[in-house]
Amino acid sequence: MNTNPNDGTPNHRASTLSEGASQAEEKPETVRSPQVTPIIIASPVIAPPSASLAPASAPKALLLGISLGLLAALLTLWFAPVLREWMFVVLPESKFALQLRTTDLKKLQKEALLLKKRVATLQKKHAQITPRLPYLIVDTSENRIHIMKGDEQLHEGVCSTGSYVLLRSAAQQRQWMFTTPRGMFQIRGKREAPVWKKPDWAFVEEGLPIPPVNSSLRFEYGVLGEYALELGDGYLIHGTLYKRMLGMPVTHGCVRLGDEDLRLVYKNLQLGSKVFIY
Amino acid sequence: MTRKNYGLAFLQWLAKPVVWFLRQTRGVQAAFLFAFILFPLFIFIVTVALPVARNPFETAAASEIRENPESLPDSTAAEILTGRRELAKKMAALEIDQAFLLTRLELAKKDSIGLVIDLTDSTAKLEVKGVPIRHCKILRYRHSDLARRLRGQGRLHQWLAAPFILQKELATLPKAPIRIKEAPKDTIEAAESKGEDLPIEQRDAEFTLQFDRNLTLSVEQTQPPSFAGRMREMWYGLRRNFSEARDAVTALLHLQLPQHRLWIEIELPREDAKAIYRALPTRASLALRL
Repeated sequence: MNTNPNDGTPNHRASTLSEGASQAEEKPETVRSPQVTPIIIASPVIAPPSASLAPASAPKALLLGISLGLLAALLTLWFAPVLREWMFVVLPESKFALQLRTTDLKKLQKEALLLKKRVATLQKKHAQITPRLPYLIVDTSENRIHIMKGDEQLHEGVCSTGSYVLLRSAAQQRQWMFTTPRGMFQIRGKREAPVWKKPDWAFVEEGLPIPPVNSSLRFEYGVLGEYALELGDGYLIHGTLYKRMLGMPVTHGCVRLGDEDLRLVYKNLQLGSKVFIY
Repeated sequence: MTRKNYGLAFLQWLAKPVVWFLRQTRGVQAAFLFAFILFPLFIFIVTVALPVARNPFETAAASEIRENPESLPDSTAAEILTGRRELAKKMAALEIDQAFLLTRLELAKKDSIGLVIDLTDSTAKLEVKGVPIRHCKILRYRHSDLARRLRGQGRLHQWLAAPFILQKELATLPKAPIRIKEAPKDTIEAAESKGEDLPIEQRDAEFTLQFDRNLTLSVEQTQPPSFAGRMREMWYGLRRNFSEARDAVTALLHLQLPQHRLWIEIELPREDAKAIYRALPTRASLALRL
C-alpha cells in the first residue's frame, strides 16, 4: 500500500491508481526529499492486452458462440409469439386478399338474400329460448338475485350464497364443502313455514355429537323464514334470521333471502320455474 | 468516477466483444459466427417463420374453391372490384352473423355455463341453455392482426362456425376462494370461532383462457391494480410467457410446428371479470363474433 511519507497515513489518491501505475511511482518516491509532498498525476496508462481479448482457439470460439447462440435462441423462443404477430403485420396484404365464392353478380345477390333469410330465422329461433314464465338468476359472486320475465327484470335483491368453507372433522374423518352449485335448476317444491332438518355438518360445526337420523334434535322451527323453495339435492332458497349477513357469502350452499325478496320469489316462481345460478 | 467516465466505461464494455471478434483469425471468426447464429436461426425458423407460413387459419379454408377477382382480366376485375366487393363484404358479415347464431344455438344445447363474446357490439355474456344470465360491457378490446386479415379474406366465419372449447386457463385469482376450517372439538371452541370476521376478497381479476382452434382470450380489469395486484400481475405475465414457450418446446419435441394463436384482449370492470372467471366450468364453451 502507498503511504504518505509525512505521517504514514495511507495515500488514498495513490491507491486509486492502477497497479501498474502505482509500481511506476514507487521508485521516484524513494528518491524525493521528505519535505516535498508527492504530487501524483494519474497519467493514462496503456494497459497490456487483457487475456479475454487475446486470440482464442477455434474450439473455444465455438463454445462461446454456442453459449451465446443458445441465449439468443432462448430469447427468440420467449418472444416468438410477438415476432409471429409482427410477421403477420409485415406480410403483404395480397396474400389475404378478398376472395369471392363466385364472380357472377346474380348468383351473389341470390346468395346474399338467402343468407339474410337464414340469419333472420336463426335470430327468431334463438329469441324463443328465453323462458316465458318468470325465472330467477342468482349471482354468487356479488350475492344478488334478479327475478326476470323474458328479457325484462321484475325485481333485483340481495342474497347470501355458499361460503366456500371446507369444514374438516378429524374426529369424524369427514369433510364438507359449502358451495352453491352453479347451472340451471328448476323449482321442485314450495313449502310454507318450513322446518329445517339439520344435517350432520350442522352438529359438527357447533362441536356437538351427531344424533341419530330421525332424532328430534335434528328438527328446528322458524329458522328458514316464511317460505322455502326446493332446488333438489337438499339445496333450498329460504329466509334467514341473520339479516345483517345478507349480501355476503356465508351459507352452507343454500340461497338465503330477506323477507320481502323471499315473498316476491315465492309469489313469482312456480313449480318447474327455472333458476339460473352462476 | 464521474458520469462521463461511467459512459466511457460502458462503451468500452460494449466494444470489448467486437474488439475480441476482430482480433481473431478468419477461421475462428467463422466458427464463432456459425455457432452463434445456428441456434437462434433454427428457433426463428421453426417457431416464427414456418408457423406463419403454414398457419392453420389458412389451411382451414383451403377446401373451398373460390374465385379471386384480382386474377380476372383487367376490365372485368375493375367492375367486380367496385360493385361486387361491397356485396361480398356484406355477405361476409352475414356469414359471420350466421356462424355466431349457430354457435349460440349449439351452446344452448349444453347444460353448463357458456361465454358469449360479441366484439361488434362490445358485450360479453354468460349464458346457460341460451338464456343470458349476465351482461357485461366490454370497455376496450384489441385483437391479433390476423383476425382483420381473415375478415378481409372472407374466411373468418369458417373459424367462428362452432363453439370454442376451453383448454387451459391462467389467472391472478383463484377459481374458488376456498377457506379451510377445522371442526371445533366442543361447544366452547365453536362459540369462540363464531365471532371470527369474514375475509373480504379484494383480489384483482386478470385471466387468460386458451381455447381450441388456436384462440387465446385475455381479460383485464379496468381498475388499476393494487401494489400486491401489480406483483401478482407480473408473476402472471411471466407464467403466461413461460407457458407459451413451454408449449412451443413441447410441440418441437413432438416434431410438430408450434402454432400461432389468434389472441383477443378485452377489458372489463373487476366484478364482471371475476364473475365470468368463476362461473366458467373447466371445459367451458365460447361463442365469438368479431
